[in-house]
Amino acid sequence: MSIVIFKNKLVNIFDIYHIYRSQAEMTNQASPVEEQEKLLEEALNVVKVQAFQMKRCLDKSKLMDALKHASTMLGELRTSLLSPKSYYELYMAITDELRHLELYLLEEFQKGRKVADLYELVQYAGNIVPRLYLLITVGLVYIKTNTNLRRDLLKDLVEMCRGVQHPLRGLFLRNYLLQCTRNILPDTTEAPNENEGTVRDAIDFVLMNFAEMNKLWVRMQHQGHSRDKERRERERSELRILVGTNLVRLSQLESVGVEDYRRLVLPGILEQVVSCRDAIAQEYLMECIIQVFPDEFHLANLQPFLKSCAELQPGVNIKNIIIALIERLAAYSQRNEGNVNLSVVLEDGKEQEVQLFEVFSDQVAAITQSRTDMPSEDMLSLQLALLKLAQRCHPDKLSYVDRVLAHTDRICADIQQTSGKDHIEHNTAVFKELMKILKLPADHYKNILTLIKLQNYAPLIKRLNQPGRLMIAVHLVNDVLESDTTVSVPEDVDAVLSMVDVLVKDQSDQVEESITEDFVEEQGLMARLIHHFKSESADQQYQILSAARKALQSGGAKRIQHTFPPIVFHAYQLAFTYKELKDQDEMWEKKCQKIFQFCHQTISMLVKAELAELPLRLYLQGALAIGEIGFANHETIAYEYLSQAFSLYEDEISDSKAQLAAITLIIATFEQINCFGAENAEPMRTQCALAASKLLKKPDQSRAVALCAHLFWKGAKDGKQWPLNEASRALDCLKKAARVAQQCMDGGIQAQLLAELLGRYVLLRERGNDALTTNLIQAIIQKIREELANLDQSEEVEQVTKHFHNTLQHLQSRLDCPDPDSLGYEGLQLA
Amino acid sequence: MAEDTTADATRRLNVKKQTLDDAYAAPANFLEIDVVNPVTTMGVGKKRYTDYEVRMRTNLPVFKVKESSVRRRYSDFEWLRNELERDSKIVVPPLPGKALKRQLPFRGDDGIFEDEFIEDRRKGLEGFINKIAGHPLAQNERCLHMFLQEPTIDRNYVPGKIRNT
Repeated sequence: MSIVIFKNKLVNIFDIYHIYRSQAEMTNQASPVEEQEKLLEEALNVVKVQAFQMKRCLDKSKLMDALKHASTMLGELRTSLLSPKSYYELYMAITDELRHLELYLLEEFQKGRKVADLYELVQYAGNIVPRLYLLITVGLVYIKTNTNLRRDLLKDLVEMCRGVQHPLRGLFLRNYLLQCTRNILPDTTEAPNENEGTVRDAIDFVLMNFAEMNKLWVRMQHQGHSRDKERRERERSELRILVGTNLVRLSQLESVGVEDYRRLVLPGILEQVVSCRDAIAQEYLMECIIQVFPDEFHLANLQPFLKSCAELQPGVNIKNIIIALIERLAAYSQRNEGNVNLSVVLEDGKEQEVQLFEVFSDQVAAITQSRTDMPSEDMLSLQLALLKLAQRCHPDKLSYVDRVLAHTDRICADIQQTSGKDHIEHNTAVFKELMKILKLPADHYKNILTLIKLQNYAPLIKRLNQPGRLMIAVHLVNDVLESDTTVSVPEDVDAVLSMVDVLVKDQSDQVEESITEDFVEEQGLMARLIHHFKSESADQQYQILSAARKALQSGGAKRIQHTFPPIVFHAYQLAFTYKELKDQDEMWEKKCQKIFQFCHQTISMLVKAELAELPLRLYLQGALAIGEIGFANHETIAYEYLSQAFSLYEDEISDSKAQLAAITLIIATFEQINCFGAENAEPMRTQCALAASKLLKKPDQSRAVALCAHLFWKGAKDGKQWPLNEASRALDCLKKAARVAQQCMDGGIQAQLLAELLGRYVLLRERGNDALTTNLIQAIIQKIREELANLDQSEEVEQVTKHFHNTLQHLQSRLDCPDPDSLGYEGLQLA
Repeated sequence: MAEDTTADATRRLNVKKQTLDDAYAAPANFLEIDVVNPVTTMGVGKKRYTDYEVRMRTNLPVFKVKESSVRRRYSDFEWLRNELERDSKIVVPPLPGKALKRQLPFRGDDGIFEDEFIEDRRKGLEGFINKIAGHPLAQNERCLHMFLQEPTIDRNYVPGKIRNT
C-alpha cells in the first residue's frame, strides 16, 4: 500500500481516499488470471476454515463465537483485489455457509429460544460489510418468525445497505438482500395488520434497492483509469443481471395490477433509467422492462415508455428497444387475433381507443425527429419494425403499410440530400435496411398486384441505385413466377412494368454496358413474366399485349429480342382464340387482321434492331398461324409474312450454316401452308429453288435443292391432290440435287447425300409422284452401292450404310406387302 | 418485548434524501496522469538524455487547464520534488533511484538508456506524480501547476499557492 506522509502524522492513503476520494487510488488492480486464481483460493480457504469453526460453535450453541467466525468469514468480501467474476464465486461460497447460521437461528427462534437484542447485537460487528450481511441474515429470521416486524425491518435493511458505497461490494450486498427477501415480501393489497405491510411497501422496498444498485452499477463506469474503459464496460455488463433482478422481483409481485404498475412501478423505474444518463444501463434496463413485465402492462403504458425512450442517451441503441417492444406486442396482438384494447389519454384527460400501429407510428416519428443523432439505418430499421407490425396486426389495413413506406421515402430523401447522391448506394447499411423494407411486403403478400396498390412502393424502389433496383426487380419477378400470379388488366401491366423499370430499359445511372450472363438470365425472367400477362377476355388480352409492347419497346435490341417473342406468341395464340370465338364475335376476322398487323409491326421492330434470324422465324411462325386460321384476306397476309421472311434471308443472313437452316425452315413452312394460289405460290417456290441452288457449299446446295422438291409436290390432303403439284419440277429438283452431290470431293459425304436423296425419292413417290420411277430409284441404289464399295470403313461410313440399309429394308417391306393406295415399286431389284 | 428492542434497534438518524443528480453525477475529483512516450535524444554537445510525455486529464477546479501534455525529464521531476520538499507541509514520496551505477563508464550495455530501465523509471515516475498531484495540499503549489501544465519550467519562478475554485 502506498503511503503519503504528513510531516507530523502518518496517514494511510486508504483513509485519505474516503475523505477526498482521490481518483488515482481507485484503480482496480488488474491482476492477471493466475493472480486472481491465487487470491480467490486464499479467500476460499479462509471461508472454509471460518465456516467450519462457525458450524462447530453452532453445534455447541455458542452463538457469540459463531457470529465472530461468521463475521471473519464475511470479512473476505471486503477485498478490492478480485475481479467481478472471482468476487461472485467468493460471494456464492460465503452466502452458502451463511445459510447454516440462518437455519440455526430460525430453528432456535421457532422453538421459542429467542436471543434477545440480536438485531442490535450484530450491529456491533467491527466492519461494515460483515455487519450488514449479518444484519440482513438476522433481519430475515426476525421477519420469518414475526411478520409484525416485516414492514419496519425491510425498510431498515434497505436503508442500512447504503453504508456500503463501493460499487462491487455494494452490488453484491444488495443482491444478498434481494435474495433473502425473495419469499417474504408483502404481496397483498390490504394487510390484516399495518405492521406487516402491503404490496406498496414491497414496491417501495424493491424500487429503492433498484435505485441504489443502479447508482452503484453506473458509478463503476467512473472507476479506474480511462484506458481500462473497455474492460470495465465488459465487467459491468457481467454484473447487469444483479441490477435486473430487481425488475424481475417487481414483476413477480402478484398483487401489482395495471394501475399500480402505471402509477408506481413504471414511473419509479423509468425515473432512475432516464436520470442515470448511462447508455449501458439504459439500454439493458429498457429491454429488461420489456422482457419481464406482462404484455397487458406494456399496452396500457406505451406512451410513457416510448416517451422515455426519446429521452435516453445518444449512445443508446433505441432502435433495438423499440423493435423488441413492437415484436412482443405484435406477437401478443396476433395471439389475440387483433383484439387488443388499447386506449390513450388525450390532453383533455379523455381516453380514446386507438390502434396499436397508430401509437407506435406516432411515437416512432416523434423519436426519430427528436434524436437527430440517430443513424439513418436505425431509422429505417424502426420503419421495418413498424411495417412488420402493420402487416401482422392489421392485415386488412393496406393504408398502414403505405404510411410506413411514405415515411421511409421521406427518410431516404433526407439521406440523399445529406449525402448529395442521387440514389442510395449499394451495400451501405442504409441500403440493406431499405432492401429489407422493400422485400418484406413482397414476401408477405406474394402478390405483385397488392404491391402496385401501394402508392409509395414503386417510388421507394427508385431511391435505390441501379444494382439495388435490379435486385428488387428480379426478386419481384421471381415472386410472380413462383406464386403464378396473373396480371389481367392493361393498367396493372403498366404498373408492374414500371415497377421493374430497371429490367425494361437502360437506366440513367447505369454503369456497365456489356451483356453478361446475368443480363440474359434477367431478360429470360422478363420473358417468363410476360406469359403471366393474361386476361380471360380476348379483347382485353389484346390491350394487355399492346400495353406490354409499348412499355417494352424502349428496351433496345438487347432486351426486345428476349421480351418480344413471348408477346408475338401470345398474339398468335390470341388469334386462335378469336377463331374459336367466331360464332360469338362477328368481328373476329377484323380482329385477327389487326392482331397480325400488330405482330407484323412488332417483328419489324426486331428487324429494325438489326436482328435477322429471330424475326425470320417469327414471321414463319406467323405465316403458319395465318394459314391455319384462315380468316378473310389471309392469303395476302400470309404471303406478306413469308416474303418478309424470305427478304430477311436474302438481305441479312450470310453465314452458310444459318443460311441452310433458314432456307430449310422457309421451305418447310411453305410446305405446311395450303392457302396459296398459283399467283402467290409460283414466285415463292421459284425464289426458294433459286436461293437453294445458290448456297455456297455443295453439300448444303444438294440438300436444299432436294428439299425444294417438296415445293412442287405435296401429298394428298383429305383425299384431294394439291392443285399446284408439278411432278416433273419436283423430279428436276431431285436430279439436280443428285448432280450436285456427285460434285462433292469427299466420297463419304457423296454417299451420305445420295442416301438422303434416296429417302426423298421414296417419300415423294409414296406421296404419289409417279415421275419418280422405279428405274430412277434403282439407279440411285446402284450408285450408292458403288460409292460405298469404294470407301474405307469408318464411323461415318458405317452410319451411312446403316441409313441406306434401313431405306432398303423399308422398300423390301413395301415390295412384300404393297400399299394399295400408293404407287408401288414393281420391278425394283434390291438384292 | 422483542418488538420494543427492534424498534430501538431500527431507530436511525434522519438523513437527507440524495437527489437523482447527485446520485448519478460523475465524480468531481477526476485526475489522471500518464507518463508515456519516452524519447532518448542526443543533447547538443552534451550527453544523451531521455524525456517523457506527462499527460494530464482532470476535472478538479484547482487546475486551470483540464487537459494538458508536456515533456519532462528526470531532472525536472527532481526539481519538483525539491520545491515541494521546501515549500509544502508534505513529506514527499521518493523518486525512483538515480541509478548511479548504471552511469559508470565501461558497461557492457546501454546503461540508463536500456529500454528495460527506461520502462521501470517511467512506471516509477508515473506513480510518483500521481501521488503528488492527488494530494490536496500539493495541489495548491504553484510549482506543481507549472510542472504539469506549462510548456517549459521557469526555475526562477516565484513560489506560492494557487487558489482556483
